[in-house]
Amino acid sequence: MTKGDIDPPPFFKSWTSMYWLVLGVLAVLILLFYLITEAYK
Amino acid sequence: MSGLDWGVLVGTIAFIVLYGVWKTRKAQHMSGYLRADNTERWWMMGLSIMATQASAITFLSTPGQAFDDGMRFIQFYFGLPLAMVVLSITAIPIYYRLKVFTAYEYLETRFNLKTRSLAALLFLLQRGLSTGITIYAPAIILSAILGWNLTATILFIGVVVTFYTVVGGTKAVSQTQRLQMAVMLGGMLAAAIVVVRLLPENVGFSEAMAVAGTAGKLNLVDLSFNPNDRYNLWSGLIGGFFLSLSYFGTDQSQVGRYLGGETIAQSRLGLLMNGLVKVPMQFLILLVGVLVFVFYQFYAPPLYFNQQQAANVLASSAAPAWQKLESESQVAFQEKKAATLALVQAHQTQDQAGKDQAALKMQQAEEKRKDLRSQAQELVKTYNQDTDLKDTDYVFLTFVTQQLPRGLVGLLLAVVLCAAMGSTASAFNSLASTSVVDVYKRSLRRNASDEHYVRASRWLTVGWGAVSIFFALFASQLENLIQAVNILGSLFYGTVLGIFIAAFYFKRLAGNAVFWAALLTQLLIFLLYYYTAIAYLWYNLIGTVLVVGFAYLLQPMLPKQRLPSPAP
Repeated sequence: MTKGDIDPPPFFKSWTSMYWLVLGVLAVLILLFYLITEAYK
Repeated sequence: MSGLDWGVLVGTIAFIVLYGVWKTRKAQHMSGYLRADNTERWWMMGLSIMATQASAITFLSTPGQAFDDGMRFIQFYFGLPLAMVVLSITAIPIYYRLKVFTAYEYLETRFNLKTRSLAALLFLLQRGLSTGITIYAPAIILSAILGWNLTATILFIGVVVTFYTVVGGTKAVSQTQRLQMAVMLGGMLAAAIVVVRLLPENVGFSEAMAVAGTAGKLNLVDLSFNPNDRYNLWSGLIGGFFLSLSYFGTDQSQVGRYLGGETIAQSRLGLLMNGLVKVPMQFLILLVGVLVFVFYQFYAPPLYFNQQQAANVLASSAAPAWQKLESESQVAFQEKKAATLALVQAHQTQDQAGKDQAALKMQQAEEKRKDLRSQAQELVKTYNQDTDLKDTDYVFLTFVTQQLPRGLVGLLLAVVLCAAMGSTASAFNSLASTSVVDVYKRSLRRNASDEHYVRASRWLTVGWGAVSIFFALFASQLENLIQAVNILGSLFYGTVLGIFIAAFYFKRLAGNAVFWAALLTQLLIFLLYYYTAIAYLWYNLIGTVLVVGFAYLLQPMLPKQRLPSPAP
């Protein structure tokens, strides 16, 4: 299988968008956890 | 345990095992047995990857860790989604293009046979020994709390897992793991809901969080940078990233999960699903631990959660001292309960001064209880031969068996057994595939039939099952060895990752230089471990950098390498 054979991910046009989704969710979670930490300090 | 609990437990486990065996009962060839014929869908792979990582200890120790140390352990997983993205971009296309059965096969194509064999042997050594602990650790806790026979529990887990892994290979592992994950997630969610419902009437989720926050348990993110501190944002992001790269990219127990994907896209989605779901899942497990902590602010906890060790002290001449500690602990608990109730009231009336006052009293009472618990621990140490004193591992199961309603106890025990079985099955399967593909087929018998290699894989699964059961049975006499095995595991990952990083990204490096650099790095990592206090997560980064750095330094000094021999 070559690089050209890779199917696009569902809901997105490219894999790059999919990767940004994963990284974005991580960033949001870290921010949320930070806010929780500060709120209950 | 009630009849209903036994019914739920036995019914759940029996259904999962029989379903896995039935679905994969047909005779298989090597690609089917070791790579599931590349028929796996992304969500099955995602669940399988998560079930492989989630061992029983995840569900026993993690809530106990949150109970004791708060939720800061969540930071350990921050590097994981980053690693999933990097592996999706780099490792998956390479493994698929070469149509490999194991990650180590690629190293021969890129470098040479000895580098492939070195990485495979490091994996077999580390995974072979640690799988015994994967079986032993939950068995010892289940036997201590439920009074089950330790040997029978170890044999049950080991034999059942060996049976369905031998019958169905990778497909059976994956089929059973998706059901096991459903039980695990459902069970933990049910536990979280029930804990909140068990709290006193005037204490809801918001009040529970206020109590947990005041006790310092909602310490999810720590921005300070300290290389000796095991869990902070930076060790989680950087150290956790390298650990995850190594574990998911080079450990055959994980690589074997996503090599069975239908296409590159399906395997990528499986890994990315893990990247999306893992952190929230760990958050849920830690939250359950924190809620259990809040529960024990209103209902008296035992002085010591490992009741077997406490019973040994009570049966000794130290019984009066123990009973005195227990009654003092009760007094401290009542003081803390009063302060906690005052905090709840102040939280509900938005009385900041009242909150501060109650928080101070809670802290004082907690200090007193901690002091009493450390005195109790001293007695436990004196009157128990067993040196395993991690009492927090017993917190969650003690809570489950003593406080949860009938039926749910059986479900939560099924969660623990499912987790033990899921991670053990992946380990047996990957040990067998590495032994066959990287050692037996490559170096001992190169041109046998497909059926012969499937038979060899089955026998090697039985063999590794037997080794792991044997190690688990004798683990109680080898407490120090267990510790050594766990440490050794974390010390190897950096070196193996360094070999793979050199292979993937440093095209000018040749096999000889990487091989000797890996050996040198491993030696240095051992020295660092013995002579410094660096937290173990950093060894993944250090090991990786050292392998690549040493390889560049050694390359000009070593004789020019011949072309690598072709992979089988």
